[in-house]
Amino acid sequence: MLMDYDESIRLAIISNTSGDILWHSKRNDAKLQVPIAETKKALKRESDDWVDRCKTADRAALGRALYHITSFKKTKRVTLPIDAFHLLFMSVDNTPMKNTKKKSYGKLVEMGKILSIVDFVNTFE
Amino acid sequence: MDKYEKLLNMLMDFNDNIRYAAVADSDGQIMWNSQRTGLKNIVPPEETKQTIGRALRGWKENETVKNYLGSGLYSISSYEKIKRISVPLDGGKMLFCTVSNEPLGKSSDGKKGYGHIAEMGKILSIVDFIKTQK
Repeated sequence: MLMDYDESIRLAIISNTSGDILWHSKRNDAKLQVPIAETKKALKRESDDWVDRCKTADRAALGRALYHITSFKKTKRVTLPIDAFHLLFMSVDNTPMKNTKKKSYGKLVEMGKILSIVDFVNTFE
Repeated sequence: MDKYEKLLNMLMDFNDNIRYAAVADSDGQIMWNSQRTGLKNIVPPEETKQTIGRALRGWKENETVKNYLGSGLYSISSYEKIKRISVPLDGGKMLFCTVSNEPLGKSSDGKKGYGHIAEMGKILSIVDFIKTQK
């Protein structure tokens, strides 16, 4: 659903809280920008960070942790917790738009739609 | 006025949703900070310092993928009530701000709201402007 909804999503991974890749989907014509070993390191770090974020959310009145975005010039990395044991990691194209009058810092990731897809999938048994 | 102090003032003036803004050095020490008048801390200051430390470590580790993904621009951690934003600055310094993210409730088309857009383009253009200052 995610890959169908947004063509900017180049890679989507579901990992566990240890950062192990359980399922993944890569867009057919997209080359991996980052060696898989580096992506695995990022997944491990993100998993650890999510444990911290969720602990913080529990301690302080911040509400539920929704998502995390790290934006680079060429790519955005998006992570969100699917449930207590699984994490969704996406690599999204962030090539700056050329036809804007002002300097472009990349593309907007429509997190509302992505979160609504995750919420929808979470209603399945 | 120091340029980073000016950065904080400009950010607080630009967007009323910004609750707190700080510039930390590469060791995580808060050099300047600004809190919106009348707002209470949601998170204890000690917790904020830990978050800043974690964000700085993240940006140092992100240096390893700079050749593949380009320079780091910003990171956002979104919670139901606030967003935490970090932007790497020159010399290992980092801008950290918290922005109100209270959900808008159900929108006019009946869809669930997940919070506000952080207008990162405007925040980054202010940061870029400050970087040009001596």
